[in-house]
Amino acid sequence: MLAALGTTIVGQRGTLEALLYATIANGHVVLEGAPGLAKTLACRALAAAVGGTFKRVQFTPDLLPSDIVGTRIFDQRSGEFTTALGPIFANVLLADEINRAPAKVQSALLEGMQERQVTIGPQTFALPDPFLVTATMNPLDSDGTYALPLAQMDRFLVKIVVEYPTIEEELGILDRFGGEAPALPAGIASMDDLRRWRQGARAVFIEARLARYIVNLVAATRAPHAYIDRGASPRATLAIASMARARALCDERSFVVPDDVRASAPPVLRHRLAFNYRTLTENLDAETIVAELIASVPVP
Amino acid sequence: MARLARRLIAVAAALGALAIVAEGTRAQTLVNLHVRAFQLSLDKPSVTVGEPFHLILHGHVDEGIDALDNVVLPNLAGLEDLGDERRCTRAKTGTDCVETLTLDANAPGDRDIGPATLSAIDATTGKPRNFDSNIVSVHVTGQPKVPAETPEPNPLTDLAWWAARSIAFLLLVAIALWALIWGLARRPHAVAPPPSAPPPPPAAAPVDGWETRMRELVAALEREPTRARAVAVRAALRERVGARDAETLADLVARNAANGHGATLAALSAVERAAFCEEARVVDAVREALPFLNR
Repeated sequence: MLAALGTTIVGQRGTLEALLYATIANGHVVLEGAPGLAKTLACRALAAAVGGTFKRVQFTPDLLPSDIVGTRIFDQRSGEFTTALGPIFANVLLADEINRAPAKVQSALLEGMQERQVTIGPQTFALPDPFLVTATMNPLDSDGTYALPLAQMDRFLVKIVVEYPTIEEELGILDRFGGEAPALPAGIASMDDLRRWRQGARAVFIEARLARYIVNLVAATRAPHAYIDRGASPRATLAIASMARARALCDERSFVVPDDVRASAPPVLRHRLAFNYRTLTENLDAETIVAELIASVPVP
Repeated sequence: MARLARRLIAVAAALGALAIVAEGTRAQTLVNLHVRAFQLSLDKPSVTVGEPFHLILHGHVDEGIDALDNVVLPNLAGLEDLGDERRCTRAKTGTDCVETLTLDANAPGDRDIGPATLSAIDATTGKPRNFDSNIVSVHVTGQPKVPAETPEPNPLTDLAWWAARSIAFLLLVAIALWALIWGLARRPHAVAPPPSAPPPPPAAAPVDGWETRMRELVAALEREPTRARAVAVRAALRERVGARDAETLADLVARNAANGHGATLAALSAVERAAFCEEARVVDAVREALPFLNR
């Protein structure tokens, strides 16, 4: 699967891995990175590779909840209301620049993410299974944006930070996609395969000392800290375990090792911590603080 | 004799005072640093006797500094220091400091070099701390170095050398006598040892403590293939490659790949499966790990 995604996306191995693990762990993903780093393309490639339906919504300040979930339309000929389902009814939904839409639209989407169903008028509709939301955020242009509250960010299993490619990777991009739209991988796996992987991941074994290591990592975020006002919730503990299981499964193991946990912790924790003003005044970034926290917890 | 003793004591006291002053000065000059990396590496994992190789000490700190002070280099016994080059490069993300020592080995064998220690005030905690680097190993092959030929005897030099040796010998005898007299005078009523006490056994030949312990741990694991035994073997292997508390196998592989720890890391990888797999698979995992551990 990673090789197939790699035919479309040059480099970005970490992004693709985290995207795949989160998909297997049945969690939603928020991607943060500068424009032009193939965030959208990665999501499209993932949807194409697993053979699911893909919809994209560009979030704007004038977007309405009905633009996401759907609406009821009055049919003059029949004299009845019919329901037009919104783009949320897809296996992979890309919410592009999610922080540009107002809170009511974000809430409509986040409710669907949590409940896996939406209500339009008197009717409730189940969302497709698998259902994966990939949201993107641009960290640079914050004017006119509506920052997602911590409680809503917590709904995302992981936050993936998409970095600029290396010089070699960028040369590869130029060589492969010069002027042409990149081809998407197709028929690599099916929705049934994805369901089977999810079932397999849930059966991956976590040894007792590793379970304690996961809890210790999350507990470390709640200890008094110079730069953190509020730590991560037990949802983060479950998220690290899910991601570690998915990583172990992809590595063809039926058990988790410390590397799985350690690699899963940063994308799970980075968007769940409330940093205080000192991070701004001292020009520190979340990545450094999370990395230091993780490094302070002994590996079993 | 008493005058000589007093002088010796005075000299020792002066040296002690100097050491205290020097220590105080060192402690005062510790600087606040965010130390991100402090690692030793070798450019060659295996060399022959007399073949120069480089021991590279790399440090990265967030602060902009001109030099990495308060670094204690590792013990280089059995190695000859041929040169030392230091360089610090400032960048947006901090300062990279690299110290390259050119060494060669006098005799064949495996040598562990490290850790080097950086003393600084840890800027994350505000407390003084010693940052220890990893340990690197070099495998030296070939014949031991032959001592250089003795130069033609020079009567004047020989005479001076003989005089110096005689003075040093007399000085040592005087110190020994003074210590003996001083010790006897202060000695309380000593109890004579029982006449039939057996003589102490001869000192054991020096044995590498880690290897002995490792052999015992592997033998115990072979006898009793349990998770607890596998965990003990894993801990010993981690100790061997200088693992820090928060380092995982991937970190150790990345840090020690070029340091000749390949076999140890392969064994560590194999035993890690036994340490974390499902209970029902522990015995099989131990069986798969044993060939790596017995290498």
